[in-house]
Amino acid sequence: MAVHLIFPSLLNLPANVKYLSIWLPLILLAGLLTTQLHGQGVTVEVSTLPRVGVSISGSLGGGATEIVSNDLKRTGMISPVGSGSGDYLASGEATESGVSGRLVNKKTGADVFSQTFTGKGRLAAHQFSDAITQAVTGLPGFASSKLGFVAGSVRVQEFYLADMDGFNTREVTHDGTISASPSLSRDGSKLAYTSYKSGYADVYVIDLASGARNRVAFFPGINSGPSFSPDGSLIALTLSKDGNPEIYTMSTDGGSLNRITRTRGSETSPSWSPTGDRLVYSSDDRGSPQLFISSASGVSDMDHLVTGNSYCTKPDWSPDGKWIAFTTRLGGQFQIGVYDVAKRTAQLITTAGGQDPAWTRDSRHLVYANNGRLHLLDTVSHQSLPIEMSVSGCGEPTVSR
Amino acid sequence: MNNKCRLPLLIALTFALAACDDTKNPNYGSMGGDSSGLPGDQVNANGDNSSIPLASRGGVNPNDADYSVLAADTVYFDFDKSTISASERGKLTAVSEWIKANPGRSLFLAGHADKRGTPEYNRALGERRALAVREYLVGLGLPAASLYTNSYGADRPAVDGDTEEAFAKNRRVEIGVITPKQ
Repeated sequence: MAVHLIFPSLLNLPANVKYLSIWLPLILLAGLLTTQLHGQGVTVEVSTLPRVGVSISGSLGGGATEIVSNDLKRTGMISPVGSGSGDYLASGEATESGVSGRLVNKKTGADVFSQTFTGKGRLAAHQFSDAITQAVTGLPGFASSKLGFVAGSVRVQEFYLADMDGFNTREVTHDGTISASPSLSRDGSKLAYTSYKSGYADVYVIDLASGARNRVAFFPGINSGPSFSPDGSLIALTLSKDGNPEIYTMSTDGGSLNRITRTRGSETSPSWSPTGDRLVYSSDDRGSPQLFISSASGVSDMDHLVTGNSYCTKPDWSPDGKWIAFTTRLGGQFQIGVYDVAKRTAQLITTAGGQDPAWTRDSRHLVYANNGRLHLLDTVSHQSLPIEMSVSGCGEPTVSR
Repeated sequence: MNNKCRLPLLIALTFALAACDDTKNPNYGSMGGDSSGLPGDQVNANGDNSSIPLASRGGVNPNDADYSVLAADTVYFDFDKSTISASERGKLTAVSEWIKANPGRSLFLAGHADKRGTPEYNRALGERRALAVREYLVGLGLPAASLYTNSYGADRPAVDGDTEEAFAKNRRVEIGVITPKQ
């Protein structure tokens, strides 16, 4: 297009000017088009990422080096390289008792940190990865977080825990029924979820260290979609006991019930603001399910979040409070959207499908499900990586902070 | 007993029956044992919410419901909707006739959704459908306390598959019969 506009006037110009006048606009146009295609996504060239050489010795050094290298690569913000090169060197020793890790800035020669990581098994290596990520990028790493999800097939779903890299999968429930809507507390010590163990949809809380399980919500109708408050003392959930699915909060032992919504529509999937004073949830009171924010202290005004989509469910509020991820449905396919809380606008982040997002602690990456598989999504670059699991039919991820 | 005595007796009886209403029992949410489920508040008296609070579960187990008796009266719904269409209402009239002919039975209304929604949305949609059937049956004269609801979301499809026909068969409320144990 640009060529046709420019060409007629170039017929009488010297050859080198003619050359520039054709190619320069084309190059600029190509640059514009590239930016349009990526929308708000930022394409990051691998060569511009900080390079960290990883070399861990000790009886478990080989495995630890591999875990740390993969963790760093998965952030999408660091390029792990061999120990000979790099802007930083991550070294240390990995044994049965843990990982001692050191990070050195190779340009300045300065020690960035020197620390012992005492998590059990692979966790110590993940903790080292997170310390490196924090030091090099300024963002907290999420490798040491717990990833929870349900898996199975129609009629039987159990709850599982895994590391964020998909390893170390372990089955937590063995009820031979449907387990759904899991929510890990921020510190990863407790799980709240819905189970049909009694025949009804009830909410249970499991203390993951001891395995102790309590049924905390078993009112008439459905009890589902629990979400731990940031300080872990309350659970927000959906109850239909008063004749309609509405949002309530309760203390984690099932007492102190407090009603949050009162509409003719149904409200589901509450998620807490990081300060614990507000809840975002999905309500179809206006026809199609939309996102709303309300005070977490009682029935009050509902602030409608205009996303531009006619179907918005399963919101999740980021740890830094700036973003609300959600599921939308377009042309019969689910996609992940992200709502900017300050600007009050939303954009779609996936194009190949995705649902049920759960933020990681850096408020940049999230985990979502698509066709029975879990994926890690960088909401800045829009890059998506599969999280390979040893079980199939995975859904409804939840991530500890 | 002459007519003068009958009316006060009737009034007294009505009050006595009202006092037996489970929803006013402060512990109706709990089944004892492992937790302290608290009662909820009542429906807003301003009437901006026409929902009827659900009856206590009592000893009713959803797995005891017999769905074969009233299988022909399974109510079907439009996509993403919980309203009972005109063509389905006849089934509920038939259900109320059956209950009148078979007193003492409770009904278990199991709501379902097709898989085209996210899991929690589907669970609430199934429940809304069950509640809509319940509300309609109450309007036909069945006691609210005899109608229980549960939702299975999209977890228990009647028909597997991704066709419109399969989806249509899964958007349903199945009506189960609970026979009181002797």
